[in-house]
Amino acid sequence: MRKLLLILTPVFFFGCKESGEKPAASDIPPTKIDSQRIKVLPQVNHYTIPDRSPMDMIYFPTDYALLKMRGKTTSLPLMRVIYSRPQKQNRKIFGDLVKYNIPWRLGANEATEIEFFSTATIQDKKINPGRYIVYCIPQDTSWTFVFNSNLYSWGLEQNRQKDLMQFDAPVEKTNMPIEYFTIAFEKVNEKTTDVLFLWDDVKTKLTISF
Amino acid sequence: MRKISVLACLFFASLFSFSQSARLPEVDKSPLDISYYPNNYPVLKIQNKATEPLVARVLYSRPQKQGRKIFGELVEFGKVWRLGANEATEIEFYKDVKIGGRKVPKGRYTLYAIANENAWTIIINKDTDTWGAFKYDPKRDLLRTDVNVQKTEEPVESMSMWFDKTAGGIALNISWEQVRISLPITL
Repeated sequence: MRKLLLILTPVFFFGCKESGEKPAASDIPPTKIDSQRIKVLPQVNHYTIPDRSPMDMIYFPTDYALLKMRGKTTSLPLMRVIYSRPQKQNRKIFGDLVKYNIPWRLGANEATEIEFFSTATIQDKKINPGRYIVYCIPQDTSWTFVFNSNLYSWGLEQNRQKDLMQFDAPVEKTNMPIEYFTIAFEKVNEKTTDVLFLWDDVKTKLTISF
Repeated sequence: MRKISVLACLFFASLFSFSQSARLPEVDKSPLDISYYPNNYPVLKIQNKATEPLVARVLYSRPQKQGRKIFGELVEFGKVWRLGANEATEIEFYKDVKIGGRKVPKGRYTLYAIANENAWTIIINKDTDTWGAFKYDPKRDLLRTDVNVQKTEEPVESMSMWFDKTAGGIALNISWEQVRISLPITL
């Protein structure tokens, strides 16, 4: 139990930090509000303020950077995703905060970035190595994932003229709501992974092979 | 608070409920962050307000001071430091630039620092996608350059990196505790 409490501490940390703030998924940096816990130099610009929806980064193979550091891999990574992680905070997410049929950035802040270091295949379509942004158009029973070339853009607005390809995936309902929006790799084999997208009681996935 | 603890428990339980199928990544204690030059580039881009092309971005994790003494203690003087937490800090240039008088070709690099009391050595290294500075290999260095330490009036809680425009080009600023350094980059 003690260990459990220890593990929970960072969760409380984030929880407390968020509790008094008005929920808004569409904030832009200059209006970000700092938590009370953190003091920053007033003359230092707003980049010193940590994000309310923290950014995260995942590699496939999972924990690639750690594997590399430990000398357990000598090959290049296959892919990397950089995204920000909004929290549920008691809100109904899909069909409410994230509206059906309207493009969603799959996270918060900047558009979610996906980079393939080798040629990838999704639903029998080949995708060249390189960097893309990915967003989705959620619906109740399925999501459409869209790969787009408008890199380094804030996620609130999509330039649909730069859409490259899209993929549909069914929605599964989970039995426990997920607090933090999560993208995770579930390895199928050395060259194939499911990319899971989880938030609230919704789970979708795309299978990517290399 | 009670509501929060319920939420936290639910969140934690949710991690367990998936443990059979996948190990879900927890939220980092030192969150990842990203800074650009021009500042706020992604927002400017969607508002069509960008007046300069994207030059650089830095991707780093932000440890917090939390009452600890940082420089000379948590970050030891004279040792290679990852300039953040978790994965090694990544800097990407979208055009060729110059640092310390030497050319840095467009591309993705790892950024390390050797902190000392009065000056830091900044290292640009070609080995990317790694964790920390544990396997730092000086043979993969592109360059090293020294920068002076400036003192800030108030302590900075979360380690911070940001770019700004200078007379000679741009600078990458790094600040934590009461230390601030500024790395000149010539465009």
